[in-house]
Amino acid sequence: MNIDTVKERAGPREFSPADELPREYREAATRMIEFHANSEIMGAYLERPFIRQAPSIDRKLAFSAKVQDEIGHGQLLYRAAESLGVKTREEMLDDLANGDGKFLNCFHYPMESWVETPMIAFFVDGAAMRRQATLRRTSWEPYAHAMDKVCFEEGFHVKHGEDILRELMSGSKKEQQMTQEAFEEWWPRIIQFFGPTDDKSTHHDFAASVGLKQQSNDDLRNAFLDQYIPKARKYGLEIPDEPRIRERDDGTYAVEEDDLNWDEFFTIAKNEFEPGLGQINGRKTAQEAVDWVRETIERDASAAGGHAPQAAD
Amino acid sequence: MAAAPDEFSEPDDLDERERTALETLCKRLADDEFVLAERYTEWQVRAPTLESDLALANNAQDELGHARLWYDVLGDLGFEERDLIYERDPDDFRHSTLVERPFEDGNWADPVLRSYLYDVAEELRLEALADSSYPKIADRVEKIRSEEGYHREHAQNWLERLADDEESRERLQATLDELFAHALTLFEPCAPPRGANEASGDKPRAVDSGIEADIVDLGLRTATLDELGEEWLSIVVPYLESLDLAVPIDGDGDDDGFEVTAAALPDERGRDGTHTDAWAELYDEFTHTYRELGRDEPTAIMDAPE
Repeated sequence: MNIDTVKERAGPREFSPADELPREYREAATRMIEFHANSEIMGAYLERPFIRQAPSIDRKLAFSAKVQDEIGHGQLLYRAAESLGVKTREEMLDDLANGDGKFLNCFHYPMESWVETPMIAFFVDGAAMRRQATLRRTSWEPYAHAMDKVCFEEGFHVKHGEDILRELMSGSKKEQQMTQEAFEEWWPRIIQFFGPTDDKSTHHDFAASVGLKQQSNDDLRNAFLDQYIPKARKYGLEIPDEPRIRERDDGTYAVEEDDLNWDEFFTIAKNEFEPGLGQINGRKTAQEAVDWVRETIERDASAAGGHAPQAAD
Repeated sequence: MAAAPDEFSEPDDLDERERTALETLCKRLADDEFVLAERYTEWQVRAPTLESDLALANNAQDELGHARLWYDVLGDLGFEERDLIYERDPDDFRHSTLVERPFEDGNWADPVLRSYLYDVAEELRLEALADSSYPKIADRVEKIRSEEGYHREHAQNWLERLADDEESRERLQATLDELFAHALTLFEPCAPPRGANEASGDKPRAVDSGIEADIVDLGLRTATLDELGEEWLSIVVPYLESLDLAVPIDGDGDDDGFEVTAAALPDERGRDGTHTDAWAELYDEFTHTYRELGRDEPTAIMDAPE
């Protein structure tokens, strides 16, 4: 199939591994799904200390389950990416460890206190939900299929995140204040989750034309602000003065882009942001520490003359 | 008047002896599960493969769920989560030192071996609780048992795989040498709970208080710790030896079989209220947010277990 046919046919769940697809499509889809899968892993990495620090058994259980779900999403997404025949899962995981794999801006920032957890578990996951819901109509069928399960589980995560936020904002004065401070710190990053406006987005046009991407950054950001500004206010959070957000006549929002730190955003996009590098390398060190187990599995598999089994799990 | 084994009193009219026995038994059960789960979660996002990551997270959540069940039984004695975890004196925890030991970075042999040693003991003690004179305990055994079988199978799969590889077997052996003595503390009697007698404050506190005998005499558990320990040894020693691992224990298992001797035990035994340094650190970490936010109530988001 040539690229023109792909563009003509591009519709929801249109293409599967049975189709002969041009390299351009397969590479674009791989890049997008790999980014998504990497984000699941790095999000889990960021949240895992809060399994321990959760302030009750129930919260601990919910957090452990959430982190487990994110790893499960990573697993599903790497599979969806692998099915494009461009990169193997091992290659993608190695790239992530080496600092070559890209992932969401928000997961490059460290998280130190429990009051920050709803910034990820409510706002970032809420933002991700919006984007993921549109991806159920992406043209790469295995990706769309993975999104069905991911969206279902994310729904629970966002509810849990919302409950943590509600609890913090109806807690002591100190809790409320700490939460507001965390919100002010995270808010610009959360808005940047949707990337720059469409005319600055490098990959958008092609991804949209072949049906991989279903909605523009601007539309997604607007829809998110529409939904989440009222929610933030409902729990008593004050929206920071910057970035300035203007309500248009039609009720949609316009963000003053110059109020956001795009230098930082693009430094992050290149995996060159210091704190983010700390997280990438922290995960790398943890992965290297268990290299010996993977080597044992491989020796075992080659002795058996077969493919590495993934059983025993 | 001592109750007959099958006539344990209703929660509202327990006498002092029954209360202390029930409290001691449930705390050792719950604390083991809670602290083990806490350690297992360290492998989340750090396990060798995505699949093993998911599996260990699963086990951690199972153990946490079991801890919840046992802590909930302690609710019959008026204890709440706050008293049992977040505001409890760390010296009052009664888990075995096996479960509190920190993991060395990347030593996957440890969770695998620890899980095996623990899960075999867990199966035996659940068997001995299935006919407990305290109905709530007996009721909860079935649910827990169904999950533990899977844990043991998972651990054995990994053990056999690692033991089959020379380099990995060496890691297993080194880990076994570290863990084994601590595993024996699973079968040690507990010191009395805080406030139960004048012995509190002494470290290590008196463990020959007769509480353990009461637990069996009152029918809360139908086997003694000695019996459980010997049975456990009769399972794990031959199994580990079959993997070409040397088990650090004296005796050859002839005649009377193996037994847990005082000489084989580590200095800190957990059950008696003495803990390794790693415990203080772990306790600080998991109570951190609760203290940082000045909370006075852990958040319940699920219904209490039935």
